[in-house]
Amino acid sequence: MTEVLMPNTLAEALSMISKDGHDVLILGSGSDVIPRIREREIEPKKVLDLSGLGSELNYIRTEGKVIRIGALVTVRQIIDNELFKGRLDAFLQAGRMFGGPQIRNMATVGGNLGAASSSEDLIPIFIALDARVKMASIDGDRLVPVSKLVVAKRQIDRRPNEIIREIYFEMPDESSWTAFFKAGRRNSLIIDLINMAMYLKLNIDGTKIEDIRIALNRVRGKTPERAYKTEEYLRGKRIENETIARAQEVLDSEVQLSSDFRASAEYRKSLDKVILARLINNCRDRIVEGRRTGN
Amino acid sequence: MKDILLEFKVNGQPKKVYVDPNDRLLDVLRDYLDIKSPKEGCGTGDCGLCTVTLDGKPVLSCLTFAFQARGKEVTTVEGLGNGKELSPMQQALRDAGAAQCGFCTPAMEIMVTDLLKRVDNPTDSQIKEQISGTLCRCTGYYPIVEAVKKIKEEER
Ligand SMILES: Cc1cc2nc3c(=O)[nH]c(=O)nc-3n(C[C@H](O)[C@H](O)[C@H](O)COP(=O)(O)OP(=O)(O)OC[C@H]3O[C@@H](n4cnc5c(N)ncnc54)[C@H](O)[C@@H]3O)c2cc1C
Repeated sequence: MTEVLMPNTLAEALSMISKDGHDVLILGSGSDVIPRIREREIEPKKVLDLSGLGSELNYIRTEGKVIRIGALVTVRQIIDNELFKGRLDAFLQAGRMFGGPQIRNMATVGGNLGAASSSEDLIPIFIALDARVKMASIDGDRLVPVSKLVVAKRQIDRRPNEIIREIYFEMPDESSWTAFFKAGRRNSLIIDLINMAMYLKLNIDGTKIEDIRIALNRVRGKTPERAYKTEEYLRGKRIENETIARAQEVLDSEVQLSSDFRASAEYRKSLDKVILARLINNCRDRIVEGRRTGN
Repeated sequence: MKDILLEFKVNGQPKKVYVDPNDRLLDVLRDYLDIKSPKEGCGTGDCGLCTVTLDGKPVLSCLTFAFQARGKEVTTVEGLGNGKELSPMQQALRDAGAAQCGFCTPAMEIMVTDLLKRVDNPTDSQIKEQISGTLCRCTGYYPIVEAVKKIKEEER
């Protein structure tokens, strides 16, 4: 690194990368990027530091049903925010297992989306919520559905002149819940084996699955995706042991993973199946409980 | 190539230092400002021994570039208490024998201080959670948990 760009406003930041943005590395907190720079996995010449943009990019806002999270919001801020206590439980479940407390104070939402190494914990949750990413550039904002954001490992649909400004989604209604689970301990160099996020909505009388979105860090390759076939099978079904067993089979055939030095494909798949059942039951129980207690 | 002027506060004192783009906050504290309590254990974010607070929040100074601290306030153990006598928190750790080799103690103290600032009577699991990102190779976690509980009891 020989040059550091330190803008004080978003407009200034965007004009700094309006040309030649491709050789500028954007820096959120640096918890993903700094270890990689030090290992010489990446050798950026120029860095654009976002830490001066807190007043513009650090907010959690609601507008009607829509929740907007600025790119510089940290995992800690999400866990501490009342908005996430309840139907957005997936964030709390992920937050509790996210690095250690210091990492949670650092890690930003924008950085999680930008890292895209296939082990990020927030990305599958945002996919399950069908969130949209707002990219800012001097030409204006561009929206990218988060399900289309990660195009390959360590590669996102971001143009060189763009900065992730915000991610937003709709608050799930009272018939729905979100849940998250990951297996495999994460530290700076070891990545999770499996993570899965779920959004589940029950029908009016609470007997059937009205809608479901299931997102995993890996489905067919090293990018987070939805398990569309499993979702399709589950939609409209009653939640019974037999249905869950059948859904596990569908997931097993839908997920195409290869073995690596961390775990075999079989092991990953058997984890996926267990987590699937656990998340379905968890969402259902919480919705039913909420109905009973009137929350 | 120390060409970035870093202006920030360390333990309440305004500082001005010229830093290299690649310098980490940890390097500036230890090597330029001679503040030795933050330690480099692993350098990759796993051990937590380089923990300092940045604008009041514990972060890893080995995963923070020095320039990211511009305009901010950094606190290390040197800034806790009055610098002469041990604070009640430090005394409690000492009484409990919560330091063996002492290498992780500064980071533990930063984490404990942060917890007590936010939570009045932390439970065992809150204390354990709070120090979960800070490794003690002597595995002296138990006395730390006991000490933290005592601090609150003493203050009551
Ligand atoms: C010890 C340790 C434990 C960890 N544990 C977890 C874990 O449990 N779960 C998990 O998901 N991650 C974990 N991580 C990884 C990392 O902390 C997270 O991915 C974090 O969210 C990254 O945010 P950041 O601000 O630090 O990103 P940075 O390192 O600053 O950036 C990451 C990437 O995003 C890009 N970027 C950042 N902000 C923007 C923006 N606004 N616009 C465009 N691009 C941007 C950067 O250019 C870079 O490519 C861990 C890391 C460490 C060191």
